[in-house]
Amino acid sequence: MTGWQVTIGGALSGIRAGLAAWLGRTHFSKVLRRLGSIIWMTLGYTFIFSPIIVVAGSSFDGSSLDLRGNSAFLNFPPQNFTFEWYTRISASLYNALWISFSMASIAAACGIVLGVPAALALIRGNFPGRIILGTLFRAPLQIPFIVIGLAFLQAYYEVGSLIGLQLRATFAGLVIGHVFVSTPYVVGAVGAVLQRFDLSLEEAALSLGASRWRTFTRVTLPIIMPGVLAGGIYAFLVSFGDVTISLFLTGPNISPLPVEIFFALDREFDPTIPAMATIVIVGSGLLLYVIQRLVGIDILLRGGGNG
Amino acid sequence: MKANWVVVLMPPFLVCMTLLFGTQFVFLQLGFFRDLGIGQVGDEFELFNYMRAFTEPFFLNALKLNFTLAIAVVAITLIVAYPIAYIVARMNSKWAIVFLTAMVVSSFVSIVIKVLGIIIIFGANGPVNRFLMWTGVVDEQILVIGTKSGVIMGLTHLGIAFMVMMLFSVIQSIPRSLEEAAEIHGASRWRVFWRVVIPLSMPGVVSASLLLFNIAMGAFVSAVLLGGGKVMTLPIVIQRTILLYTEYGMAAALSGMLMLFVFAVNILSVIVVTRMPSARFAVT
Repeated sequence: MTGWQVTIGGALSGIRAGLAAWLGRTHFSKVLRRLGSIIWMTLGYTFIFSPIIVVAGSSFDGSSLDLRGNSAFLNFPPQNFTFEWYTRISASLYNALWISFSMASIAAACGIVLGVPAALALIRGNFPGRIILGTLFRAPLQIPFIVIGLAFLQAYYEVGSLIGLQLRATFAGLVIGHVFVSTPYVVGAVGAVLQRFDLSLEEAALSLGASRWRTFTRVTLPIIMPGVLAGGIYAFLVSFGDVTISLFLTGPNISPLPVEIFFALDREFDPTIPAMATIVIVGSGLLLYVIQRLVGIDILLRGGGNG
Repeated sequence: MKANWVVVLMPPFLVCMTLLFGTQFVFLQLGFFRDLGIGQVGDEFELFNYMRAFTEPFFLNALKLNFTLAIAVVAITLIVAYPIAYIVARMNSKWAIVFLTAMVVSSFVSIVIKVLGIIIIFGANGPVNRFLMWTGVVDEQILVIGTKSGVIMGLTHLGIAFMVMMLFSVIQSIPRSLEEAAEIHGASRWRVFWRVVIPLSMPGVVSASLLLFNIAMGAFVSAVLLGGGKVMTLPIVIQRTILLYTEYGMAAALSGMLMLFVFAVNILSVIVVTRMPSARFAVT
């Protein structure tokens, strides 16, 4: 050790010893730990939430309202508080929001229809190759989204030239691409619940004379419901927020909101975008509130998994 | 009475595998045919595109940059998220739900909206620059957008919420009694943290890091918007190959290279981890 290191080390241990003597040793390290935790948590959560708060705040900034055109940039904290940007949101942005919402809902619903039986069979079945099949069902999450988007685009060209079915730049084409990434979330979430599932409950229902279908709807389904919901919600979110896959499958008038925001940021900034983004943020908050009231937010914390 | 699970599995299996293999095959096979321009490819099966991908410095540098950024993102995310996950996992469960819910809230917001926020925060006239100019720390505006740090920041945003939620469940499954036992035997808090908590959570840390690594390797939105066309990662090069040159064969070969690389890193880390002595201890 060089001289200055010893000096600093000595000074630090001196300060530490002094404080420790003053507070009592155990108390001292406890206070230090608690203080460190508070600082770390504050910094971390500020970092995570700052973009969201800034987007919402700057949507009310009116300082560049009198400038002509859309070249203006927005300030945070907002100056000259205004709701003007909200009234200027174009019909095409609302259309994009609607496309995103309906696309994500349908994709999540299809993901549930495909994912629940798959998860049931993969966890409960006793056939060879289950582990490999499970890996194949999860595979879409291992493929970079840009490769998925391009692959679907190419496949749609191919389908178009082979059987004349036009899927590129259609709503159906978009939805199919999103079902592909939705299903693994449902398989994963339902699978996680099923692994904790008590088989004897089903056996009891069956031995008491319930039909297979009745056992499924009255026993199995209620138990796996949290997994179905969590998987469906994550599938919805991934689809609703996705840019990369949609980017290659969109066309005029069939463009989800995130893609529109992406274009606005990549090309020319549009000051109504933060206003629209704020509407989406508030909408997500409301969705979360509804989930909390209906089933409790903790279904999303357990076994959900977030991509 | 036994249900026939194979019959239940068949319909979703056929749909999902058609989508998986159908699309991937149609796209990736293009990588083995030479581009003829205007989106056409030749008839002859050859490795020309892959040879280019693995030899031309432009593509190799893109892969290298991609890898460096992904490693930086995983490292920074781990450093920030691990203590948060540990603190949340060891706090009163009532409060833990609040802090975890906050992470869920933030993950509800699409990456483009977060990137929009980052662009406003670090813009030339954004709050960070105005604050730094006001305090006199810098004389000129610092530009984060259009640099590697900008891209890393965007991806770290995405990563932290994800990582905290993954690590929380890992750390929570480590019984607190193990920490108490070490403390009773005279280990300091730091020693307990380094010698008990971190080794036991290692398998979870590795799998969460791999997931984040895969996401970061394929990251496109933040690389485009925060890199401002100056940070050429492989996904951006792939998009440009299609958009500017309509070379589907080359784009397919580059996609193949990206996936092979990610796959190799995953396999390698699993092999390394299973050989670690702590992993064997932790799994049991």
